[in-house]
Amino acid sequence: MTIDVNQVAGEPASVSTGFPVTVGWTHAAMAVYSVLRLNTPVNLKMLIEMHGPLLIDFRHHAFSWSTPLELFPVDAVHTGIETEPTSADAPPYFELPGQDLDGLLWQMGINSFGGGPAYWLPAGERYRLIRWPNLTRHAHDMSQMKMMAVLGNTYVTTAELATLAGVEDADAQRLINALSLMRILSRSAVAEAAPVAKETAAAKRQSLFARLRKRLGR
Amino acid sequence: MSAGLHTKPAVVKAASALLSEMKDATSSLTYAALLTDDGFDVARLPGQTDGARFAGMASSMQALGDAVAHELKIGSCEYIIIASGKGYVVQLRVPGQELVLSALFDNDATVGNALAISRSFAQKMGDLLK
Amino acid sequence: MGAGKTTAIESLSEIEVVRTEANNSERHIADKATTTVALDYGEIVLDGEDKVRLYGIPGQKRFDFMWAILKKRAKGMILLVNSDAADPIAQMLTFIDEFRELYDRGGVVVGISRADVIDGPTLAEYSEALERTNPDLVIPVFTVDPRDRDQMENVLLALVLNIEMRALFGMATAASL
Repeated sequence: MTIDVNQVAGEPASVSTGFPVTVGWTHAAMAVYSVLRLNTPVNLKMLIEMHGPLLIDFRHHAFSWSTPLELFPVDAVHTGIETEPTSADAPPYFELPGQDLDGLLWQMGINSFGGGPAYWLPAGERYRLIRWPNLTRHAHDMSQMKMMAVLGNTYVTTAELATLAGVEDADAQRLINALSLMRILSRSAVAEAAPVAKETAAAKRQSLFARLRKRLGR
Repeated sequence: MSAGLHTKPAVVKAASALLSEMKDATSSLTYAALLTDDGFDVARLPGQTDGARFAGMASSMQALGDAVAHELKIGSCEYIIIASGKGYVVQLRVPGQELVLSALFDNDATVGNALAISRSFAQKMGDLLK
Repeated sequence: MGAGKTTAIESLSEIEVVRTEANNSERHIADKATTTVALDYGEIVLDGEDKVRLYGIPGQKRFDFMWAILKKRAKGMILLVNSDAADPIAQMLTFIDEFRELYDRGGVVVGISRADVIDGPTLAEYSEALERTNPDLVIPVFTVDPRDRDQMENVLLALVLNIEMRALFGMATAASL
């Protein structure tokens, strides 16, 4: 059963449940996050204007979509999301292996919530990386890599992260959202700020990373 | 593909016999080993060293010797000598085989002697395996 | 063995790589004609002066004396794991253990090569094994094609960043414990 944009809800519930009409990735991210939190076997289908349906098989941590992630449509308009409970021994939602769900979660996370915190992240927490994402497979820039290196070594708030990496708060937040959606971010309300010696601008320019990055044209 | 000479009993036997002969003929010889190019121990005289490790090291040295000779464009590396207060290590390839002979002589031998002896036994080993 | 170390150095190096290879007598372990017996050496030249020196050292146990030499000198390590090998996870854990001091004073990044082998472990399985055995380490684990220059450069940049951030925060964290 799909939800028709123009129809008032009133049909009897059947096997699948739909979310209210959504517009962009933010609502899609919320739906996906809810499913990930529940951790029960579920299939999810997203209907997106001008694209084929996006199918997610959570059991197998995979998705299927005719649109390649390199052409991820950040302004996509979602016309429907439906979920369907499945079971541990039911057949996969689509022919496996499909694509690794992490790739989709990364793009969704970066492109949701307009630079603000994901709805499930309360204010005032510090974050730390549990595990690095596979950067070979996710389009990223050097600022994001730098932020991950910070997060891999200490607890920081979004604002502290932005300062350390020299980016806008919004950019740091987008990364935090993505890592949180991918469930590789640890959160703490009590961790203290890491004491850090102030790096002079000159020192930053001279760092091996800065010089190597320049040499490699990144 | 390398012959895996260290896995061939006939080769190991011949190598051991040759090293014994070398020891009998040379009072100044304190240690010797035959090893494959890729660092496996084929045979060795009894000694204080871990044979497997020594084989690895000797093969690395041989390869580095080749690399230096190549870098300096001086042809191939014919032999390597490590001189120390207590003796010389002489190392060279067995002609026609992916094998290296590495031998330690005490100071009773001159470098020239050590080299001549090593060369002759390396040749013998090569001839045995032809 | 067979993870692609020599290839990786060649992808990264600006100079022609100095190789030290011998014919491989262990084709049953890794199906390739040659194997590194001393080390591969490559360079990236920075600003025309300093260099990033790249060393590729053999992983076989009989060359562990080389590991001892490099452990002292290296700033960091890219551990290349051949997903097609027998028990690659165990091999990875052995090397992480062996090179723990390099992680402590520098950095380590793991690159899984040939990850497209269908029967190999998933990336998650590598990460989980690392986390289980070394819960206090956060080591990047990426899939990588050693022939791909962009990918190898990315891995190298991640390593350098980790080294710098560890230096920046590692001491501070230890001090506050």
